[in-house]
Amino acid sequence: MILVLGGIASGKRAYVYGLGYADKQIDGDPASSAPVLYGLDELLRNRTPDEVLVGQLAAKEVVVCREVGLGIVPIDAKGRAWRELVGRTCTLLAESADEVVRMVCGIPVRIKPQDSSCC
Amino acid sequence: MMKALVVGGSGSGKSAFAEDLACSLSPTRTYLATMESASPEAQSRIARHRRQRQGRGFTTIECPRSLAMQACATETGSVALLEDLGNLAANALFAYDGSMADPSTTLDRLEREVIALADHYDHVVVVGNEVGSEGISPYPATLTWIQLVGELCCRLAARFDLVVEVTAGIPLVVKGTRA
Repeated sequence: MILVLGGIASGKRAYVYGLGYADKQIDGDPASSAPVLYGLDELLRNRTPDEVLVGQLAAKEVVVCREVGLGIVPIDAKGRAWRELVGRTCTLLAESADEVVRMVCGIPVRIKPQDSSCC
Repeated sequence: MMKALVVGGSGSGKSAFAEDLACSLSPTRTYLATMESASPEAQSRIARHRRQRQGRGFTTIECPRSLAMQACATETGSVALLEDLGNLAANALFAYDGSMADPSTTLDRLEREVIALADHYDHVVVVGNEVGSEGISPYPATLTWIQLVGELCCRLAARFDLVVEVTAGIPLVVKGTRA
């Protein structure tokens, strides 16, 4: 599985197209047969990850998640819990992912596996 | 001697990485805690971090508002893990009565205190926060805090040997090399 992270408008979808996937292979439903799950961040607004969901995500070819948690801590408890959950879920998925790619200004930076100059 | 700054967003795994790094540097470990335990949510975060550190031989010192006393404490040598700059900055900036300290003086003071702390121990690992990449707050006080945390991270990063950003539990070295 390839985990693709990045902020709003960082080039995540274009990167997925570049991998050879078309729109009909991309959706936000973990139970569908589409190989690409787009929008893990919004999916986690409505549910917490259980074993079933983690298994479904791990079985996808690509999981795309907006990177959150890099700004001010939201004033509402629900917002705080959500961004914490998104971060923890990405950390969990990154452990088993074959590749983790982080989009920066449209440029894919492969952070797993990464160059030997990194930690 | 290692002076390291570890930054990352919420839930990025920066604490776990910083702890591993501190543990790899010395068996004698001091944890400098900055979170004030007023709310149930803060207490739950504190409890999670305590569980994470359990059995790893950290002596915990509470220093939510100032590090001045820690830098002249008797525990010298070994490794100090300071967590985190966001809490420290918020506590230093905002008083209990709702008033705000002068940001520029506070920035200078915190920088001085962290540097003194780093010089006091053999090794120091400081946990910072990425707080400037998610929209602009309508509240001037929050903007002041974001600015303070960002500038403090920049100043420390300029002096420290190692700067690491953690995302999804993956460490990315921004400056230096991990020993």
